[in-house]
Amino acid sequence: MNQAEINKLVSQLRIRVNPRLRKFRNPLGPEERLNKLRKTVTALIKHERIELNYPRADESRMYAERLISDAIRYGDCHKSTMEMADYWIVEKQLIHKLFKVLVPRYENYTIAYTRLLKAPKPYPGEKHLKAVLELRGNPYPSLIPDTQSNRSLLHNVLLDEARKAFRAEKYKEIAAKVTANFKEGDKQRTEHDEVAEKLQEDEDKTKNTGIKAETPT
Amino acid sequence: MNSLNTLNIRLRKPIFNYIKRCLSDDIKQQNDIFTAEQSRQKEAVGRIQKIEINYGGPVENELLVMNKNISTPYDCAKHLGDSICNKSVVALLNGETLWHMHKPLPDSCKIEFLHYHVSNPALVNKTFWRSCSFLLGAVVSEAFKDNVKLYLHSFPSPNVKSGSFVYDVQLELEDWKPTTSELKVLSIEMIKFCQQELPLECLDVSKDLAFEIFKKNPHKTNQIPDIAENNGDKVTLFRAGNHIDISKGPMVPNTNHMGRITVANVIKLNTDIAGGPIYRFQGVALPRSLILNHFAFGVLEDRAKLLNPARIPGTQVVDNEDNSFVASMTA
Repeated sequence: MNQAEINKLVSQLRIRVNPRLRKFRNPLGPEERLNKLRKTVTALIKHERIELNYPRADESRMYAERLISDAIRYGDCHKSTMEMADYWIVEKQLIHKLFKVLVPRYENYTIAYTRLLKAPKPYPGEKHLKAVLELRGNPYPSLIPDTQSNRSLLHNVLLDEARKAFRAEKYKEIAAKVTANFKEGDKQRTEHDEVAEKLQEDEDKTKNTGIKAETPT
Repeated sequence: MNSLNTLNIRLRKPIFNYIKRCLSDDIKQQNDIFTAEQSRQKEAVGRIQKIEINYGGPVENELLVMNKNISTPYDCAKHLGDSICNKSVVALLNGETLWHMHKPLPDSCKIEFLHYHVSNPALVNKTFWRSCSFLLGAVVSEAFKDNVKLYLHSFPSPNVKSGSFVYDVQLELEDWKPTTSELKVLSIEMIKFCQQELPLECLDVSKDLAFEIFKKNPHKTNQIPDIAENNGDKVTLFRAGNHIDISKGPMVPNTNHMGRITVANVIKLNTDIAGGPIYRFQGVALPRSLILNHFAFGVLEDRAKLLNPARIPGTQVVDNEDNSFVASMTA
C-alpha cells in the first residue's frame, strides 16, 4: 500500500513512445547511438526546426520531450536534471536556453512540446523517409497551410452556416420550452387566483353577514 | 450462381441504370451538334491576330502574347507552370469579369487566376457550387434506367450558405423517397463521373441552335427565349463528357477539382409544373484541395439533407433565376 505510484515517478510524455528502441548503425559501439541522438537533440534545441531522416527524428524526439518535461518539472536547481541536461546538450550554452527560454515557453502546454512532420522525399534521390522535427512555438512561419483563420474559405463558410442553423434550432427548442413552462405557470396562477378569489368572496360573505348580523343590533 | 442472382436482383429491383453500354441517340445527336458548332466557331476566327495578356501574379508579372479568339485563360496558365494550371478555378479579367478557363479570350486584357485559397474566395466558391449543380445534373440524367422518364429542369443561383447545391429534375416516379443505399449509389456515380477528369467546355450558341439541342426537353425549351433575352440573344452552353446544359457560368475547368462529394437527399417539391412531379436533388461537396475530417463533413452532410430554401420552380412565375442567369457574374 505504501508503494509510490509508478506512473508518477517519471513525467508522462504527450507523444507515443516506441516499445522497442531503434538500434541504428553503430560501428563504434553502442555508445555511438546515444552520441548520434545527443547531436540531434542539441541541434533541435539550437535551431528549433530541423530536417532529417524519419527514424532518427522519431527517436530523438522522445529524448527531447523527456528532457524538456524534466526541466519543467524539477527546475534548474535539481542535480540529476542538470546532469541530464549536461549530458544531452552538447553545446553547453544551450543549457541556459533550455531553462530560461524553453521552460517558460512550455510551462502551461497541455500538448507535446515538439512536432514531427513527414517531409517529401526528393525524386530521384534517397529512398529514406524524411521528416521535419520542430519545437512548438518557434519563430518560423508555419509549415502547415492555415485553413482555419480565413472564415470565407468554402468549408469554413459551410461549417459556420451549419453552426448557425444548429444554434437557431437550439434557441427554438429553448423558446418552446420556456413558453410551455410559462403557460403551465399561467394555468397554475389562474387556479391559484381562483382559489384566492373564492377565499376572498367567502371572507367578504362572512364579513357581509357579520355586518349584516351586526347592523340589526 | 449466387453472384448471378444478386446481379439479377440488382438489375431488376432498383431504378438506377448500373451499366450504360452505349449512348442514346438523343445524347449523340446533341453532342454532334455541339461539336460541329464548336469547330465552326473555331474556323470562323479566320486570320489569327495577336493579343497581349498581362498576367498579374502574387509574386511576379508576365506579358504573354496569345491568339485572339483562340487562346483561353487555360492556355495562358499553361505558360505559367503546372501548379497554376492545376489549381486555377476561374480567371479574373481586368479585375472585374470572371471568365471560364476554357473560353477563348476576345481581347487584350489583364488576367489573374483565382483559386480556393485566395483571401476572399466568395466568387470561387460560387463558381464551384455552380459546377457542382451542373455535374449533379449530368449524373442524375445518366443514373436512371431508360423506363424512368426524366427531364432536367433547372438549378437555382448557387448559394453556398444554404448548405447544399441543388438540381431540380422532373422524374416520372410517384412519391419516390430515396433509400440510403440509393443515395450512396448516386454519390458514387458522381464520384466516378468526376474521376474521369473531364474538361468542362464552354460554348456560346445562337437561340435556334439551343432550341435544336434541347428540343427533347420541354423545360429547357421554355427557358431558352428568356435566357437568350438576358444574354444578348446568345445561350451559353457547358459540356462535361457527353452532358450538355445551359448555364451562364463560369464553372471550374475540370471535374478533377472535386474532392469529397455526397448526394445528400432527394425531396419532392410542390409545384404546378405539368408532366410529372419535380424532385430536388441536393448534395454537398468540397474541392480536392480543401481537406476536412469525417466528423465535420458529416455535420455538413446532415445539414444538406434538409430541404434547400432556394426558390421552387413553378409555371406561374417567370423563371429568371434558373441556371443563375440573372445572378450577375461578379455578385
